[in-house]
Amino acid sequence: MKDIKKIEIIQRPPPPEPARRTNPLARVFDELVRFCQSRSMFMLHYCTGCGAIELPPAMTSRFDMERLGIQPMVTPRQADILLVTGYVSVKTLKRIILTYEQMPSPKYVIGICSCTVNGGMYWQSYATAKVLKDYIPVDVYIAGCMPRPEAVISGLRALMEDIRTGRGDAWKKYYQNYDFYLGNQQRLFGEKWQTPTDVIAEAHHYGMMTDQTLGEHTDLLEQNEVPLDALRTRLKARTE
Amino acid sequence: MTPLDHLLLLSALTAVFTLAAGNIRSAGWIATLLYAAQGLALVKMWGMGYGPEVADSSISFQLLGQTMHWRFDSLSWFFALITVGAGFFSSWFASGGWADHYRAQGNSLRLFHSALALNVFSMLVLLASGDLLSLFIGWELVSWASFLIMGLASTRAMGYAMRYLTYAIAGAMAILMGIVMVHAQTGSFEFAALAAAVPGMSNGTLWLLLLLFGGGFGVKMALVPVHLWQAKAYAETPGPGAAFLGAISSRMGLFALILVIIQLVGIGRLVGMSIPYTFLDARDLLAWVAVFTMIFPTYIALRQHDARRLLAWHGVGQTGYMLLGVVIMDDLGSAGGLMHVFNYATYQAMLFMSVSAIMYRTGTADLNQLGGLVTRMPLTFIAMLVGIIGLAGLPPMNGFVSKWLIYRSLVAEGMPLLFVGAVIGTLGTILSVYKLIHNSFLGQLRLEHAKVEEAPWSMTLPMLSLAAIVFLTGYFPGVVLDWISALQASVGLPVLAHHLGGVHFAQGGLDMIWINSLLIAGIAIGALIFYSTGRSQRVHQLDNYAGGHFLSADVRYQYSDNFYPGLLHLIGPWYRKSFRWAESALVSLTDALSLAMQGLYRQVQPSIYLLITVVIALSWVNIR
Repeated sequence: MKDIKKIEIIQRPPPPEPARRTNPLARVFDELVRFCQSRSMFMLHYCTGCGAIELPPAMTSRFDMERLGIQPMVTPRQADILLVTGYVSVKTLKRIILTYEQMPSPKYVIGICSCTVNGGMYWQSYATAKVLKDYIPVDVYIAGCMPRPEAVISGLRALMEDIRTGRGDAWKKYYQNYDFYLGNQQRLFGEKWQTPTDVIAEAHHYGMMTDQTLGEHTDLLEQNEVPLDALRTRLKARTE
Repeated sequence: MTPLDHLLLLSALTAVFTLAAGNIRSAGWIATLLYAAQGLALVKMWGMGYGPEVADSSISFQLLGQTMHWRFDSLSWFFALITVGAGFFSSWFASGGWADHYRAQGNSLRLFHSALALNVFSMLVLLASGDLLSLFIGWELVSWASFLIMGLASTRAMGYAMRYLTYAIAGAMAILMGIVMVHAQTGSFEFAALAAAVPGMSNGTLWLLLLLFGGGFGVKMALVPVHLWQAKAYAETPGPGAAFLGAISSRMGLFALILVIIQLVGIGRLVGMSIPYTFLDARDLLAWVAVFTMIFPTYIALRQHDARRLLAWHGVGQTGYMLLGVVIMDDLGSAGGLMHVFNYATYQAMLFMSVSAIMYRTGTADLNQLGGLVTRMPLTFIAMLVGIIGLAGLPPMNGFVSKWLIYRSLVAEGMPLLFVGAVIGTLGTILSVYKLIHNSFLGQLRLEHAKVEEAPWSMTLPMLSLAAIVFLTGYFPGVVLDWISALQASVGLPVLAHHLGGVHFAQGGLDMIWINSLLIAGIAIGALIFYSTGRSQRVHQLDNYAGGHFLSADVRYQYSDNFYPGLLHLIGPWYRKSFRWAESALVSLTDALSLAMQGLYRQVQPSIYLLITVVIALSWVNIR
């Protein structure tokens, strides 16, 4: 084993210097909050691809990702991580985007298997969306066909480290560059594409509007948008 | 005129008024005021709630050398308070929008209001009975008054009411036979004479008396195995009528049972009457009947799809708790059982009212066709929520206190099997009340109910007042326990030492003031965190996760049909309809016997008839 070359797997630039803040305690709290966030994450696994088969051993007692504070969760409303395992067909991608938009921020996406990176062995398929990060921002890719549970754990640790040091902010890109992502989605799904979530309103809510948020594609969305026809939940009796 | 005369006269006046003028628009409101006046007359007899006071009525007469008289003591006062209260709230509920709706359906409001008033009146007469004869008269009045209100709604309801009447007459005959037996033994109908004669009676005589009286009163309480009549008859009664009947009507059986069996026969004799070849005695028999009454109907309720039937079956089941508590006959258990009478009346009336409000607005009580109404009828939802928390016996509502007292006494008296039975019953209660609130108020709102409004104030206010009573008597159970300790003293049961918040023991008592305050503080902290962060965002109902599926309004994504399929897969084979089978077997047997008798009368030769008579007469002479 000694002659195996040690390979540095994760090589990243040093974290950017955070902006100076007037309150000296603010950084202490920021660090604490980020540390806590990185140690308690709920994971929604959107497992339609074959990579899902490596998750049970990663979750259960052999590799036990719960010791890292990561647990499976059944709904996007409570989840922090969206796990996309394996190839993403066009139909599946619609569901992934719906689910991703339903998650509350901050949210992180992990693409598992080579298929999410570049289409993998489905490169020639007409029905597969090849590069996941064109449609939603991806924090960490775990390449491999399929990656072993060690690799999955290692990828999750990399994400934890990113969150702890404040680099895991891919979710902000979705609001800041919404027009770009929406354009790619419209290219694939057609100009009638819409999801129930109002992303632009959320971008306002989080204060992340940039000049890249709105553009020709969001204009197209507003033109074609059909309002949801069902009932708005409200706690007031009223005749309509 | 004594205060009791005022009460009975006011009650009779209410009945006469509703009978005469029940059709005018404000009749319901006036009747409600009259019930309130009856309540005031009860308040004038306040002393009975706190001490051994007795009020006699000036009405009494001689019948065949026997004096019939009426009087009130703490026991009567406690039950009368619940009766008049139930009448008041039911009448209030039936006064405004509900009455217009009821009349618009082509029903007679006069019949409804007068039936309700007659029910209250007959119950007060029964509660005031001063001897066995007046007890029987009151009993019959109550039976017929209940029949009157049950048969109002439809032909189907009339069928169920007739079934009730069959049971009630059988029960009344048993009681009459018991009374005749007492008279044969003592030569008097007085309670005191029976009490004095009990020590001299043999165990056999006492068993017969117990079976006759217990059976007769048990029919009214719908104890297993004579429980089949009640749920359907109550469920088909018009909404507020069902609320009234469910709250108090079958409690009359418990009242009479306490009066005759607990007060006059007494625990000492019951424990002494052992059943041959078993290790059980008469008290154990009653307790096990109570536990089975708790379990079977509760699990029948679990299977109901009609909200009214579900509640009515619970009414049968909760009777078991009251009887169980009372027959433990120690201070804790009997207080728990008697307090459960009050508690149960408060939330059962409220639950029936909330179901009526749903029916008023949506036209159905079918749990498979409702859902999501919380956004449309939030006040009704609150009433039902408070009600089911009480029914399930959870803090902070008053149902918790009475069930806690019963459990505690079962454990303290060393009755673990009965305790397990009671817990199984409670489990069924929790499961089915969750079904009730989930299928009606939670989940996806149906498109056809999109424009449903909250029930009018005339319906929500009585519900909310009852909710306040349920909560406050859960917060300060000592208020009700005061009346109950006076009752225990008057009946001859051991008296429960208590304080405003509950009971105190060296090994840890129950203080609801502490429990509820802590609970409220916890909720307040949660609410503070929730509302102070201000980050919550309201989303559209269809912006919901369904495995990544895109939702639309025409597709239901939340089904409440066929609730608890997994549980019913497990326990389903246990439902064998044995009691239904036994009932129909009894009916067939009676049919066959009557046919045979007819045949004997009509077909057989007169000479054989004569021969039979001669043989019977000869054998009788020989025996002599």
